[in-house]
This record gives sequence, C-alpha cells and structure tokens, in this order.
Amino acid sequence: MPAAKHKIVTAFEGIPQSRSLETYLKHGGYQNLKKALSMKPDALVDLVKASGLRGRGGAGFPTGLKWSFIPKDSKERYLVCNNDEGEPGTFKDRYILELSPHMLLEGMIITAYAIQSKKGYVYTRCEFYEEIEWLNQAIDEAYETGYLGENIIGSGFSFNLDHYIGAGAYVCGEETGMLSSLEGKKGYPKLKPPFPAVAGYLGKPTIINNTETLATIPWIIEHGAEAFRKFGTEKSPGTKLFCVSGPVKNPGVFERPLGYPLQKLIYEDAGGLIDGKELKAVIPGGASSPVLNKEDVMTMKLDFESLAGAGSMLGSGAVIVIPHDVNIFDVFKVTADFFHHESCGQCTPCREGTGWIANILQGIEENKGSPADFERIYKIATQLMGRTICALSDAAAMPARGFVNKFRDELNAYIETKRNTR
Amino acid sequence: MSVFSEKLQDKFKHYLARYETRRSAILPILHEIQDEYGWIQPEHIESLEKEYGLAKVHVQEVVSFYSMYRTEKPRPYRIYFCDNIVCTLMGAEKTMEKIRKVMKSYEDKGLESPFSLEGVPCLGVCDGAPAMLVNKERYLRVDSEKVEEILMKYGA
Amino acid sequence: MNEQVTFKLNGKDVSVPKGWTVMEAARRENVSIPHFCWHPGLKIAGVCRFCMVEVVGRPKLEIACNLPVTEGLEINTKTDVVKDAHKWGLEFHLINHPLDCPICDQAGECKLQDYYMEVGKYKSQMTRPKILKPKALDVGSELVLDTERCILCSRCVRFEEEVTKTNALGIFSRGDRSIIGTYNEEKLKHNYQENQVDICPVGAFTSKRFRFKQRVWFLTQKESICPGCSTGCRISVHAKPQERRYFRIKPVLDKEVNGYWMCDIGRRTFEHHNLENRLDSASLVKRGNGELAALAEQLEASSPRDIALLVSAQYLNEEYQSFFEFFVKELGVQKVYQWREPTEKRDDFDNILLRGDRNANTQGLMGTLETFGLSRNARNEFDDCLKSKSKVVIALCPEITSGFPSLGTHLTQLAEMPFVSLWTCLIEATEIKGLENLIPMKSFFEKKGTTLNYNKVERKLESPYPSAVFGALDVSEAVSALRSEMRKMLGKD
Repeated sequence: MPAAKHKIVTAFEGIPQSRSLETYLKHGGYQNLKKALSMKPDALVDLVKASGLRGRGGAGFPTGLKWSFIPKDSKERYLVCNNDEGEPGTFKDRYILELSPHMLLEGMIITAYAIQSKKGYVYTRCEFYEEIEWLNQAIDEAYETGYLGENIIGSGFSFNLDHYIGAGAYVCGEETGMLSSLEGKKGYPKLKPPFPAVAGYLGKPTIINNTETLATIPWIIEHGAEAFRKFGTEKSPGTKLFCVSGPVKNPGVFERPLGYPLQKLIYEDAGGLIDGKELKAVIPGGASSPVLNKEDVMTMKLDFESLAGAGSMLGSGAVIVIPHDVNIFDVFKVTADFFHHESCGQCTPCREGTGWIANILQGIEENKGSPADFERIYKIATQLMGRTICALSDAAAMPARGFVNKFRDELNAYIETKRNTR
Repeated sequence: MSVFSEKLQDKFKHYLARYETRRSAILPILHEIQDEYGWIQPEHIESLEKEYGLAKVHVQEVVSFYSMYRTEKPRPYRIYFCDNIVCTLMGAEKTMEKIRKVMKSYEDKGLESPFSLEGVPCLGVCDGAPAMLVNKERYLRVDSEKVEEILMKYGA
Repeated sequence: MNEQVTFKLNGKDVSVPKGWTVMEAARRENVSIPHFCWHPGLKIAGVCRFCMVEVVGRPKLEIACNLPVTEGLEINTKTDVVKDAHKWGLEFHLINHPLDCPICDQAGECKLQDYYMEVGKYKSQMTRPKILKPKALDVGSELVLDTERCILCSRCVRFEEEVTKTNALGIFSRGDRSIIGTYNEEKLKHNYQENQVDICPVGAFTSKRFRFKQRVWFLTQKESICPGCSTGCRISVHAKPQERRYFRIKPVLDKEVNGYWMCDIGRRTFEHHNLENRLDSASLVKRGNGELAALAEQLEASSPRDIALLVSAQYLNEEYQSFFEFFVKELGVQKVYQWREPTEKRDDFDNILLRGDRNANTQGLMGTLETFGLSRNARNEFDDCLKSKSKVVIALCPEITSGFPSLGTHLTQLAEMPFVSLWTCLIEATEIKGLENLIPMKSFFEKKGTTLNYNKVERKLESPYPSAVFGALDVSEAVSALRSEMRKMLGKD
C-alpha cells in the first residue's frame, strides 16, 4: 500500500486512477489477502483483536471480538458490509469507494476468510448511483482475476460477494435492519437476543462491519497490530475518517489518528469558518451525537472515550460546524424531523416518541409553544433511551437532550421572540 | 401475457435465483420496474404475485416503507433536495425556494412543470452542500444561481 | 427435559422449566407485567416495549417477553423505575389514540383501559394534534378495522403468518404513519377472522356480528364446548340469561384441543340458540301440548319391531346413555339408525381446527352404541331408516343446521312416515307439514354432560345456561318424562 503519514484507508489519496485494479495491484493490492490466506483464520481474529480496531460505523464495538462471537459449530456464515452511509453529516464511506473500492473488497475477503464465511453482501444506499457503479466494477474485476469466487488465488478458500442496493431508509444502516432489508423485507431491526453473530441473515450467523472498518483490515494485516496501535489512544487505537462539513473553508474527509484535537481539525485542516463567521456549536459525530458548544469544542479530543465523557459520542466521525448566525432551534428541528421521518415504526416508544418531539417543535415553530415544551421534550427523549430494539431511538433522543441541555436559553428565547413577533 | 417485457422478466428470473430466498429479490425487482416504468403501479404488484409468487402484502410493505419507491406517476425530472442539517446550514431552503419559483412559472403559464421537488434526508455528500439529485444525476454546492442553470439544462 | 431454573421475582424464589421467559414465569406466579404485543399463541415480536422489568445488575430495563430465565437472575417488576417505564410506555401508546371509548366496542375489555387503571393514571402530556388514519374499514366478512385505534402490536399480522398462513395483513408505510391493512383493501377470506378481534388488545378489530349489540360488562360468561364440529373447541358463551339471549362465543384455552383459537363457523353456533329460532312449548300449545303422551300411546300400541331410533351425533354422552337405556334395554327396540349429513366429508380437516365431521359427539355416540351392543361404523343410515317400514320413529334431530344441508329434505321425508317423534330445538320443524310430534329440546349450552371429540378427548359441559325457551328438555329429561307417561298409562290399565 502507498505509505503516507496517518494514512490507512486514504492511502490512495492523490494517486491517479486510484480506483482501478491495475493501480491497486501496482501499489501492493491484494498482497495482504495472499498473506492472510496463508494464516490460520483464528490467528487473523486474534490479530484484529490485538489491534484494538473498533467499529467505524458509529457504535465503536471491538471488531475482533465481534468476529469471535460466531458459534464455532455453525456452517453457513455470512459477512455483510454496511455501506449504507446515511448518518447526516457523514460521507466517509463514499470517499473510500471513490479512492479505492478494491481496498474494501480486499478487507472483506480477508474478513470472510477469518470468520470462514463463503457468502457476503455489500449493502449500499441507492442514492449513491455513481459509487454503486464503481463498486460493481471493482467486484467484476475481482471476480475476473480470481480474488472473488471459487478457490481464491489457489488457496482453496471460496467467497462469493453480491452487491445489494437499498431503497431509501436510514434504519437499514442499523445492522439488523440491514439484514431484514437483505431478506427483501421492510428494514425492521431484529429483536435481540439472538444477536446477528448467532442468528442474523436468514437466521444464520452473520457479521456486519462498516465499510471503513473493513477497509482498515488489509493495513492491519500488512503492518501488524502494534503498528496500528501506534496511532490513536490506548482505548481508541488507529486512525479515523473525519468528515468536516458546514460553513468551513475546506470541507471534506480527513484521516486523522483518534484522539486528534477537534479544534485543530476545524481550524487548521478544514481551514476555519468562511465569511468571518463565528463558531457557535459542533455536532461531533453525525446527527445522532449530542451537540457541543464552543467551549467544549476548544478542548475536545476526537476519540470514543473523550466524547463519551463529555456526554456526546464519536459516532461516525461526522463533524458538523454550526455558525453563530444560525438559530439552534432550526438545527434541532431539522434533526428531530429527520429521526421522525426515519423511525421504522416497529417499537412504540420510538415510533410515537420521535413523532411527538417533532410535533412539539412544529408547534413551537407555529408560535404555539411554551417553555414547558422543551422540558417535555427532554423527558420524552429520556424515555426513548435504551427502550427499543435498535439504537435509532437513542439516536433521536440523545441529540434532543443535548440541544435542550446546551442551548436551553437560546431555545427559550426563540419562543419569546416568536411570541413578540406575533 | 405478462405485463412485463421479456427483458424485464429475464432480469426478474435472474434476481429470483440469485439470492438465498426469492423474497430477497423484491427490492431489486422493484428498482427494475421503477427504472422501466417510472413508478410502481398496482398492476405490477399484482403481477408479481400472480407470475412469481411474491406476496402482494410483502411487496406492498416494501414499496410503502422505502422512500425511494414511487407509487405515483412521476414528472420527467424529479429533484431530490437534501433538507438535512448541513444542507440547511448551507442554504438549502433558499435554493429550494428558487426551484419552487421556477416550477410555479410553468403553472403561471398554464403548463405542467416538468419538475417535482422533494426534500430528502442526507445524500451523503455534505462537503458539497447544498446537494441535490435530478433523477439520478447528483449536483453539489447548488446555490440559487447555480440551480437556475441546472434547471435550464433540463428545459426550464 | 425437566430441568428447572431458579430465579428471584420481586424477591421471591421461583423455579420454572429451563427455556421459559420471565413473562411466562411471571404469569404462572400471577405477577402482572403489562404487555400488548406478546401473546402466548404467537411468536415473540418484542415491539410494544411495554413489558419492561428491572434486571438487578444490568444498566437498562429489559422486556420480559424476550428475557430467558437464567439461574440466579433477579427481576423486579414493581420498583419505581419500572413503574415509571410502564406509565410512559402506556402514554406512548395513547398519544395518537383517538380515545373514542364511548363509541368503541372494545370498551370494557380493552387493554388500554385496563392498563390505564393498573399502571397509568397519569395526566396526559399530549398537547398537539393527533395523527389521523383510516377508520371503519371493511376488511372481511366478520371484521371492521379502525387503524387509528391500532397500536401496531402486530399480533394480527403474526396470526395471519403463523396460524392461518394467509399473510393477508401487513404493516404499510413507516414510523408513526404506519398502518395495518390488507393489500388494496382486499378482504380476509379465511374462517378464523374473529380471532383477530380476540387477540387485538384494543378496539382496532371489531366483530361485525357483535358490533354495537351490547356492552360487554352486561354479559354473563359460561364455559361450554363448541357444537360446530368434532374438534370440540373449549369455549366461553357470552349471554344475557335474564333476557334469554346469546350474544357471542369466544375460545377458551385448551392446549389439548384448540389452543387459543376457534373458527368463525363455530362462533356462529350461538345463533340458533336464541328465542326466535327455537322450538318451545308455547309454539305447541295449539296442538294440545300432549306430545309426550301421544308418543307414549304410540309406543304402547307398537311392537318393538315396529319402532326405530334415528340418532344424530350432536347430543351428549349422558343423553345417549339414558336414551338407549330406555328404548333399547327397557323397550327392546333393535332398529337404531345414525342420522348424518349424506354429503359430509368426515375426514376433511383445514389443518387448523375445523373438521369435516360437523357433529360434536360422533365418538360419544359410537362409544355408547358399542356399550349397548349396537356397534357399527359412523355412517349415514337415514335412508335405511326410511326404508325400515317402521311405524314409530323417534328422531334426535341435529341442532347445527349449517353443516347439515340435507336436513330440510330429510324432515320432509320423515313427515311421510306413519308416526315420527322429532326431538329438536329448531323452530323450522313446525313448518314441516305432517311432522305431528315435536319435543322441544334444550340446546348445547343449556345442558350438562360430556362429549368425546374426534380424538376421543373427553370434555365436560358443567355450567349450563337456563334454557332460552320454556319447556325445553334434554334427552334424559324427555326420556324420564316419557317413562312416567307410560307408567301412567300402565297404571290406568
């Protein structure tokens, strides 16, 4: 792989025609697969465990540990790549497809070998029309050259991969919602237990990993767990893709070690705010992460623990910069409307609660609000946490509580201003 | 006689054999129908049950659950504008206002607008906010001036 | 197999078989855990999120319905945090519910109402307009659907998937716009529709047959056995005995026989019990009311060789016993014919509950015949009876006419025989010219006794309603009345 500082999944940044198999092979592509196929599957699981790699989709669950949950006596196993990037503010997996879809494929084939899966799926959201074609082409190339299919490069290991396209539902980014969708159903997340590693796709053991997570695997094979741990913090090792968006000079994806200062990311890497705007707040990990105020931003480190410690979360690494001239109520309402729109409706608290919160905010916008409304929203949100089959409910509740917590005065003032302009 | 073309039927058969269960073929089949006819009509759903044994209720559940399946006859150019956080921060509402104006100019002339406008959740290209799709074509950093040029391209 | 697991439920040690959930264990221990989507006859959905319990040592509340009991587990169902969760759980279900209880048929047996008293009693916090959804949809011959009252527990959808395997219901759309329904408002076509009314915990599915007929709290409930077919489902008959009126039938759990369900044909078997369909002594007044005496006279004057018994399989074991005791043992009658629908497909089965043998007690009749040395196969012998040239026929008429399309013809044919005594509860019998001797009978729900279902499972009918009509008898009562008539006659001699 091309060697560059801090670059694991973005190693192909700046390399012309980086998506082609030719380019990928020229830079050592699929060599890590060869290496992995010569190892014992369990050794690969141990290696990834030792690297401390944590899921890059948002939840941060240790990847190697997840793999080890597959029941030893199971025969039919599935690997699913969660490429349904839909968390508002997130565009990192798309970037991997743009740079090097083969890196994702190599990571998937290695993972499939590690968990001894013969069949895998990549699940991509349908709005990624162009990216879908890029990945389809890479899959075709991999089949043609024997990296996918039967007896992969003479190893005796076989793995077939299919590309499945969603149809517009955020909840399919939840791993078991994705499995329901793959089964041709509504994206209703599945009741747990059993967990997907035991009973997933069609009730068979299934591992679901995020695109970025899987794309990291070849590097870990090449450089080892220790090298990976040289990046990041002890509990959050490695690098992470951060997506900076909002009114900044250079919005985009930045691969940085975990534990990286948020302030540096915004003001140096992304070049600070445009048009002399001042920073008011930052949503640090996608729409479902609680908002940080300016004070938090200045000292925040971007890793799982630091953000959790501040009552927020690293999430998908989507850093959304909110400038001073935007009313926080508007951001709150867009967020609440989004979760209301995307709740699958299966579990009562989420179905009713996300709608209720959006409904109350609608009332406030229509100048029918009272300060008690935000207290009510806070209470409703609290009842949505940890009460449902999947985490969409929490994803809706946490930012709602965050907005009320951090911007209560501004929100109450919004009601007052509305009232005075009646 | 099937309501579907032979070419489409071949694709359906391919999908029905491709996955572990026939039911998994529902989503890709619906995408194909939509690409061919523009939207998913009741006769399509009924034929999928009659010809391929895909239960109407199961298909209808899927059609109604996923927001990208259309169940009404679409306009030639469908604008899916991201109205999520980042695009809102970057002025999506202003651009959408412009699009509505263009659409209204057709009505004012007594014509039907060739465009439809729908707010959609994050399109995953927030570094290019505000973002929109026109049918399957993606446009980034669409401000109110740029949008006019784009719509012109489609005949506005 | 019988491995037991012990855990603590509200501080008390409880042992249950391995594999049980906390919900199942709590039910056995009479610890109420509120729930909507869980139903013991259906797979676990875990979607209402109402049955939250506290697991000591775990950070989050968990749902009891999907929580397996493990050794040493400590569960609390009444702590403040659990109570709070239940209160909120109920409020989430109610914020968009129309609260139209006064015009809702489910009122009085609605789980929303029950739980409001049990775990709710909060002041509503909903200040915004509610979501409106389609109402009063005609979704089947037996059903009306109100999607606004629906709480989307998915029981009805699972019933269609797991029990009838018809997949006719789905949940369409998404989030709080979700709607239960059939495809394009097609109608449910199966014979198990009213189970949807039973399992619907709210007033979303209501019964066309029962809608707006009666407030449920005015109804008396008594257990009985369904007379509709040889499965013999255990049922509860809902009636107003003071008005001599039956209103509906619901299934009662019987794991050996019907589980949680019963069919719509069975549910309709209350209709013929009601006054307007019944033969009563009053309708016989103008005939002089001497029916039993007239029969006694005929019997007295006839040789046993000229007497025949025509017996349907819709009476109870005890009734057959006294019937044959009297006619066969005491009077020496030898000609016994079984009265069955000639077109019946006795071995038909819908793979759920309904059987082709639409008689509740074929096995009971066969068994009794055997004890009287009259054993034979269950087959229709009506024509043999007609051809028997008997002078006196005593006929135990079937009471369920829906499974007996030939009954009308049979009665007309019987009327041409010299003397027929028809023991029946059907008012139709009075319309047949030539049927002179009619004995009004009690119907199934008005008798005590036992039945044997197709599988020879014995079930008792223990709590009869007083007969809806005056002067009706069961077979045993009729036999003893007949016996005393004959004694009276003998005494006169």
